[in-house]
Amino acid sequence: METLYSVFIDPFVQMFELPDFFLQVLWEGLVSGVLYSLIALGFVLIFKSSRIFNFAQGIMVVFAALSLVGLHSFLVPYVGNEFVAAAIAMPLTLGIMYALAMGVERMVLRPLVGQPDIILFMATIGITMFLIGFGEFVFGGENKVMITEALGIPTGSIEFEPFGGFLLLEEKDVFAVVMAIVLVISLLVFLNKSAMGRAIRALGDDHTAALSVGISLSTIWVLVWFIAGVIALATGIVWGARAGVSFALEVIAYKALPVLMLGGLESVSGAIIGGIAIGLLEKIFEIYWGQPLFGGNTETWFAFIFALIVLLFRPQGLFGEKIIERV
Amino acid sequence: MQVPPSAGMDTFPQLLIRNARDWGDRPAYREKDLGIWQSWTWREVLDEVRKLSLGLKSLGCKEGDKVAVIGANRPHLYWVFAAVQALGGVPIPVYSDSVAEEIAYVLGHAEVRFAVVEDQEQVDKLLEMSEKLPQLEHIIYEDPKGLRDYDHTRLHRYLSVQAAGQALLDTDEQTANEWFEAVKAGKPEDVAVILYTSGTTGRPKGVMLSFNNLIVAVQNANEFDNLDENADTVAYLPMAWVGDHVFSYAQCITAGYCVNCPEGPETVLIDRKEIAPTYMFAPPRVFEGMLTHIMVRMEDASKMKKKLFDYFLDYANQVGERILNGDKVSLFARMKYAVGEFCVYGPLKNEMGFSRVRVAYTAGEAIGPEIFKFYRSIGLNLKQLYGQTESSVFITSQPDGQIYADTVGVPMPDVEVKIADSGEVMYRSPGAFLGYYKNDDATKDTKTEEGWVHTGDAGIFLENGHLKIIDRAKDVGKLTDGSMFAPKYIENKLKFFPNIKEVVTFGNERDYVCAFVNIDLVAVGNWAERNNIAYASYQELAAHPEVYKTIQSHVDQVNKDLSQEPVMAGAQIKRFLVLHKELDPDDGELTRTQKVRRNFVAERYAPLIEAFYTGETSKHVVTEVVFEDGRQGTIEATVEIRDMDTYRTDAMSAIGEAAE
Amino acid sequence: MTVMDPTLEEVKRRAEEREVLLDLENVSLSFGGVKAITNISFNIKKGEIRAIIGPNGAGKTSMLNVINGFYQPQEGVITFNGERRSSMKPHLAVSQGIARTFQNVALFKGMSTLDNIMAGRATRMKRNMVWQMLYWGPAQREEIEHRKKVEEIIDFLEIQHIRRTPVGTLPYGLQKRVELARALAMEPELLLLDEPMAGMNLEEKEDMSRFILDVNDQLGTTIALIEHDMGVVMDLSDRVVVLDYGRKIADGVPDEVQSNQEVIDAYLGLSH
Repeated sequence: METLYSVFIDPFVQMFELPDFFLQVLWEGLVSGVLYSLIALGFVLIFKSSRIFNFAQGIMVVFAALSLVGLHSFLVPYVGNEFVAAAIAMPLTLGIMYALAMGVERMVLRPLVGQPDIILFMATIGITMFLIGFGEFVFGGENKVMITEALGIPTGSIEFEPFGGFLLLEEKDVFAVVMAIVLVISLLVFLNKSAMGRAIRALGDDHTAALSVGISLSTIWVLVWFIAGVIALATGIVWGARAGVSFALEVIAYKALPVLMLGGLESVSGAIIGGIAIGLLEKIFEIYWGQPLFGGNTETWFAFIFALIVLLFRPQGLFGEKIIERV
Repeated sequence: MQVPPSAGMDTFPQLLIRNARDWGDRPAYREKDLGIWQSWTWREVLDEVRKLSLGLKSLGCKEGDKVAVIGANRPHLYWVFAAVQALGGVPIPVYSDSVAEEIAYVLGHAEVRFAVVEDQEQVDKLLEMSEKLPQLEHIIYEDPKGLRDYDHTRLHRYLSVQAAGQALLDTDEQTANEWFEAVKAGKPEDVAVILYTSGTTGRPKGVMLSFNNLIVAVQNANEFDNLDENADTVAYLPMAWVGDHVFSYAQCITAGYCVNCPEGPETVLIDRKEIAPTYMFAPPRVFEGMLTHIMVRMEDASKMKKKLFDYFLDYANQVGERILNGDKVSLFARMKYAVGEFCVYGPLKNEMGFSRVRVAYTAGEAIGPEIFKFYRSIGLNLKQLYGQTESSVFITSQPDGQIYADTVGVPMPDVEVKIADSGEVMYRSPGAFLGYYKNDDATKDTKTEEGWVHTGDAGIFLENGHLKIIDRAKDVGKLTDGSMFAPKYIENKLKFFPNIKEVVTFGNERDYVCAFVNIDLVAVGNWAERNNIAYASYQELAAHPEVYKTIQSHVDQVNKDLSQEPVMAGAQIKRFLVLHKELDPDDGELTRTQKVRRNFVAERYAPLIEAFYTGETSKHVVTEVVFEDGRQGTIEATVEIRDMDTYRTDAMSAIGEAAE
Repeated sequence: MTVMDPTLEEVKRRAEEREVLLDLENVSLSFGGVKAITNISFNIKKGEIRAIIGPNGAGKTSMLNVINGFYQPQEGVITFNGERRSSMKPHLAVSQGIARTFQNVALFKGMSTLDNIMAGRATRMKRNMVWQMLYWGPAQREEIEHRKKVEEIIDFLEIQHIRRTPVGTLPYGLQKRVELARALAMEPELLLLDEPMAGMNLEEKEDMSRFILDVNDQLGTTIALIEHDMGVVMDLSDRVVVLDYGRKIADGVPDEVQSNQEVIDAYLGLSH
């Protein structure tokens, strides 16, 4: 009886009685949600255009963040100014991500064209291993601090008093959300309005047809991997600002997996909505059910269980096309 | 250009000048071309018309000359009307989907000297017929596609004719004045246009309408529905049809509103949605088609959507019409309807391009009461009117708030309507035509000395003063037992079922009524798909036992309905068959306006009709058909004939019970 | 305005006069030892409609795939527009002016008709990737230019009504037309059509024939087509090359080919 009470009644009573706290929970959920969306988007773009499940997406986050921080600390002594160093390190890091995209296309994708998907998947594991090794070799294995201030990311906090209660928004979280939204919108506009975006969609739709209209595979692959790199960098910056830059950051990529299960590997809108949904739900679950019932730490597994349950009822995922078995 | 001073308001060119002066910067015509809406203001239209008019003049077009206009609804073709009228000539729009011979007949009969056509297709038809058309001198085409290599001695591009006109204006300052004086000289009693009717029998007749006919009729109509220069309409019906001539030319110039031309026949739906007209006309089949389309799409919608749709449509059915008519409706009902408007009716109307419609008309055929009510209940002010070519359209119309599915409304202002002893509807009005061109006998047969015009329709006035049309007067006949047989009346009842596209009934001077049924391929095909019924052709689907069963149930329902109406009860359907091919204008079975040519069908399928009355239950027939490309062929089929139960009228059954 | 049917000699003479656009010399293609094309030579001349026919498995589609760079022949020399070709990639073929359609339509099914045709302009987009991403103005202006061209094609093929429709939902005949439109958007010098009428009904076939003739006549595009409908082939094409088991067995104007005994035996004889 008591269990039933704490499962079905108590959480809702709490949400109702402490609405300001509930808002706080929603906010936290939203912040992680938009970041999940971003990462899932990286997966989706690469999968759509090349049928590759990019295992290296997570390590790309770490690698991008490490490059930025590493370059910055390397540059500061020369230019003598934190901000100038950051302003130089930023485009350099983008350049590194572009070089990475070119390298992957030239050395991994192109030679492996036509190989089974699983081989390509394993190749991305190879890329992961390489980036871990290379990253440690160049930047060292120890934890680093994100150059938050040098990048001009605000670090204060904003306080509200809704419903006579108290709500605290960290400014860097607000920054994260705004940046994620801007990034997602510009990505959508790019995909839907520009000629290059159309080429990416075309390639995702039909390979042969794309080849026949003269869309060059290499160009699109480099572009898509570069976009994934930019997303990785953005994620790395904001996540690094919250939790520091270390190889443990890689784990955040695995948070995108349930989002993909839910949203489907091919749906851009699925990735966005799925990410936010998972971010919100896992936070709410953690606070109102996880902590009282399971002693917390449910965030590590809740999303997977939730995605599995959804798939039981909707095998095509939330946004996937209906799967019709043709006889 | 300089807009000339007032030239009067008696002819369309004169009105065009008024519009250029009063509404110079307002849009007059729009056309979607290469994916973009191009538009012309009244001032620009006047300029275009004048250039064209002078260009035609330089080709030799003069007072009294007849100029054919053949093509789809294009602003450039509408301008030909005014350009020719300005010279004192008479434009003659011709159905563009007619075969070459039909066009040749009209052009020959009207002694047409010039033809302005849309494209290569029409040019080819005219060139093919040029031997039969010695008086045809010049052909002017709008779209040059494919015409580059043609001999251009008597072929001209529209733009080059206009350029010739412009050159005259540029070289001689007097040209503009002379043209203006010519326009000013136009008189209201002059022939404005000759419209050839695609009659169900015999050769088409050329109906001569004067400026006065058209202008008075449409001015009354504009007042009747408060139409002014702010209206928008979409032109998509054949230009040769009086309705389009009135809605997209006469009424447009008189009221000053804007006519929008879609890209092509297939894009009408999309283009109408983009324009969202405020005033529109569509024959019943268009409304039927749209409803079928929506219903088919809703079948595939998600459950949630479907439920919402059904719920609010049901609600609209209860209160929608009362709200539209301005009746008293509770605040709660209004609010609930508003929610429905937001969730269902609004999006639905937007999808069909009806979101701004203030007045929508349907006419030409009877509309299904269910369909009529559906559109009215979702807030479309759909009304019916009654008219014909000879009356400049408007004879009767339904005033706002007095709408009945089975009537065509009350007489329009200045129109007198009476029912002759024979039951035929007759009218006398300012819009009544001058006469048939070069056919005085027909004119005398149709229009009496006192100006009364025979409509050829049988009708009755109801107590509320509304006219109800029953059938074509000449089609109303009697069965051998003396009961009245109104084929159209019965056919329309059947045609209101979505599964049935066309019906032809027989029974005049016969023992009982029989019917040919054409199934609607969209509706029945969709039903077949959902029920996993495979079919390879129209013929196969038409002969399917399940289809027969469905049609049989519809016929049964109609018999029940007929038994309720004392006058019609004797004419219930005894036997029917589902025809193995679709009736088709290419085979001469329908007119170009999709009306059944009853006698032709009766002749063509004589063996089937014979089988009806000899009691056979199936019949093997071979039918000649014309394919799309003009090749001849035959199709054969064994057609099943079914017997039906008939019902006794209530009165009779009451007597029957009493006797027992 | 009837035109007298030209004599056979006349037709041949006209064909002779034309300039060669594509020349294949002793081309052979094999997949792991299996020969798909054996030692085939023929040419396609500027402005003509050239049909490639033959029974199933004759190597017709392989031939098209060689021409547009999907396959690399092991032997032989290919000359396009006077230039001898070394290695080939499909997107290079497109930028040289070769466009194609497929036997089983290869369209971007999830995208609208307009987007599909616009995608056909991919190689004509002059601004490079960085411009596309960063500099909105010129890229946008360029997009409008391309849109104009695409609208003309839409008008030409009369597909205005399906501009915004996802092509996956269109009937087959219209999909084929959209595919042709996309190929035309590349403004090709040589257009390869792989069974443009496959799976069409009579009316659709007639429409397609008319469009093919219009493209050839009004746009001056050279066309090479594979088709099974002999009536269509004989009506449309200026010259016909016949393949059987990967070899060329005949080459000439339709009348010649039709009366060639080897062709009748190998192909026409079998199917009738």
